Amino acid sequence: MNKQIISFPINSRPSLVPNEWQVWDGEQDEDGIPDLEHGLHKVLVPFHWWITHYKNPDITQRANQGDIGIWFAADDDILKHADIIEASKSLWPVIGAHFPIFRDGRSFSTAALLRDRFAWQGEIRAIGDVLIDQLIQSSRVGFDAFELRADQNLDVALKQFDLFSVVTQNSWRDQRATIAAS
Amino acid sequence: MYKYDHIDQTLVDQRVTQFRDQVERRLNGTLAEEEFRPLRLQNGLYHQRHAYMLRIAIPYGLLSAKQLRTLAFIADKYDRGYGHFTTRQNIQFNWVELEQTPDILAELAKVEMHAIQTSGNCIRNITSDAFAGVAADEYIDPRPICELLRQWSTLHPEFAHLPRKFKFAINGAKEDRTVFLCHDVGIELKKNPNSNNGELTDELTADIYAGGGMGRTPILGSLIKQSLPWHFLPSYLTALLRVYNRFGRRDNLYKARIKILVKALGPEEFARQVETEWAQFHNDSKQGKDNFTQDEWDRVAKHFTKPSYRPLQVFSNSQLQSHAESTLNANEKIGFTRWLERNVKPHQVPGYASVILSLKPHGTTAPGDATSDQMNAIADLADQYSFGELRVTHEQNLVLADIEQAELLNLWRAAKNYNLVLPNIGLLTDIIACPGGDFCSLANAKSLPIAKAIQERFDNLDYLHDLGDITLNISGCINSCGHHHVGNIGVLGVDKDGEEWYQITLGGEQGKDASIGKVIGPSFYANEIPDVITSLINTYVEQRTADESFIDTYRRLGIAPFKETAYRSNGKHSKESNKGAIA
Repeated sequence: MNKQIISFPINSRPSLVPNEWQVWDGEQDEDGIPDLEHGLHKVLVPFHWWITHYKNPDITQRANQGDIGIWFAADDDILKHADIIEASKSLWPVIGAHFPIFRDGRSFSTAALLRDRFAWQGEIRAIGDVLIDQLIQSSRVGFDAFELRADQNLDVALKQFDLFSVVTQNSWRDQRATIAAS
Repeated sequence: MYKYDHIDQTLVDQRVTQFRDQVERRLNGTLAEEEFRPLRLQNGLYHQRHAYMLRIAIPYGLLSAKQLRTLAFIADKYDRGYGHFTTRQNIQFNWVELEQTPDILAELAKVEMHAIQTSGNCIRNITSDAFAGVAADEYIDPRPICELLRQWSTLHPEFAHLPRKFKFAINGAKEDRTVFLCHDVGIELKKNPNSNNGELTDELTADIYAGGGMGRTPILGSLIKQSLPWHFLPSYLTALLRVYNRFGRRDNLYKARIKILVKALGPEEFARQVETEWAQFHNDSKQGKDNFTQDEWDRVAKHFTKPSYRPLQVFSNSQLQSHAESTLNANEKIGFTRWLERNVKPHQVPGYASVILSLKPHGTTAPGDATSDQMNAIADLADQYSFGELRVTHEQNLVLADIEQAELLNLWRAAKNYNLVLPNIGLLTDIIACPGGDFCSLANAKSLPIAKAIQERFDNLDYLHDLGDITLNISGCINSCGHHHVGNIGVLGVDKDGEEWYQITLGGEQGKDASIGKVIGPSFYANEIPDVITSLINTYVEQRTADESFIDTYRRLGIAPFKETAYRSNGKHSKESNKGAIA
């Protein structure tokens, strides 16, 4: 995992902050999330794992402490699971959305739906194959935190957000600029 | 025509800066080719057989004389002195250097042009009717909607990495010159007869067709939404694209287009899913802001007002001919008469006409190619005769849209000096062709030598005029950039054991009555093709009734008689027959 992430809250400037969240793929342990006693305490678990484990008292307790968030895979149909998301979302400090490869744009729609349809106000973190040249689009559709792939230059990454001063369609972060007819 | 405001200009300028940085990172090795590829494609930069190819957008086909001069300048300075106009209203330069592309884009930005989204898995250049705003059969000028949607789709963040490319075409005329039924989304603009409101813009509605396309699985789009009020287009299209972005297949390149999703779900179910998604926008005031406003319409539409037409006397073709009579020799008389008949189209305004400049000389250059000299000359003609504007057609020709009829003879003389007046528009030699295996690294076979051989075989204009309307389209591979599926005669290059073969389809047609051509049988060697075309044409000539066009004869008789003659002396597939590639 990357030790630093880019945090770019709405109406704010992007900056590097320490990464407090470990992304767990849900596969290494049948019984539960990995032992976090000796490392980071906070973990993003796969949403499909949450669905089957969130009623487990141990998980509920740790979630109540703010130590568990979830991440959506690119092929998770979040509208199909709207009930569970609505019921659980107050427990999640962070939601992740995963890019299996940088040119897979499904998580753009996931983030847009989380903002529009679920009125999610918390952090949405881009995880997986997150590259410098996806940052502009993802920051517009709803992402406000980015754990970049380890080989990406974070200084170059931070400069991306200043490349464009205008947009021509609405998104979560900005409304299109318009000029009245003269 | 549309003029950039400071928002449009800032955006293309900043896009150049962004791409310059991406190219720099590619060149210094911090950006891998595999990761650079989608970025350069979204800026129109392909890597071809010999060099990089840059595809530049000509949004909805509209070009100013000034812009055309810049394209000529780019052809001379950065390429080999010519450019290739494509079926989707782009121009391609085949010999550019990666290092120079940011400079080319900066030159383009100076004249309000760009290469944004001319390739890649995103919303591509939006195409429309080359005769928008002037066609006699138009009921809605589509250009304001085209421009609004150009802006809406430009760098759209949610749809930057779709499963596959996504093409829009927008039509507003009785005839369809946009092939909208073969697009991922086809939009047909109409005046709403039920509207009581006197304002034009409130009467404007859109019928939305989805899931059309060519390629491996040619299919015509299905009507999924009728009479959508124009200002809802952004929210409706967002809903449509969101359904596609989420559920379009990403596991197989050949099954990733929206047509496969629409086919798998069925058009009704696809429409229902879009409607469900759209309902959320509709009901939510925040989302409602996505929709176009009257102010935005006014801001854009003011650029598409009619130019200052003069009140003019109307001439019939025979009057124009008799006026020209005394100044033309016998050959010129025939040429001018045929040109009036084939290359001059009716105009909305009395006394004006639209002129198609043919980029299909017989056998000398590739269909759609123009040299920098021709481009500069055409720019001058546009300035002198047509309010400084021109258009690019789906058939890869250029249009001067607003010519005074009384100036037609002068224009004809001037354009003749640049080999632009061949009267073959809509005839057999007005061939649509992709660049094919001479340039394209995807192609299975060459297209251009086939086009050349057919044009040379049918070089007799008397005969071509007698044959009348017929379309012949050539694609070098199943990606179908030459739109062979909708040609009356389609030629498709295929690879068999490393050799180039050609498959023939018949009965394709574009327009409102569009149809996909049917394969007539096993494929042919390259140098059999002119003979095969001759036999198809002979069958038509023998079988046609008076005034019956090729497609009508085909539709009446079916494929059998054409197939029979085509294979009578060709397609034996015998290596001993000494048949091979055209050199």
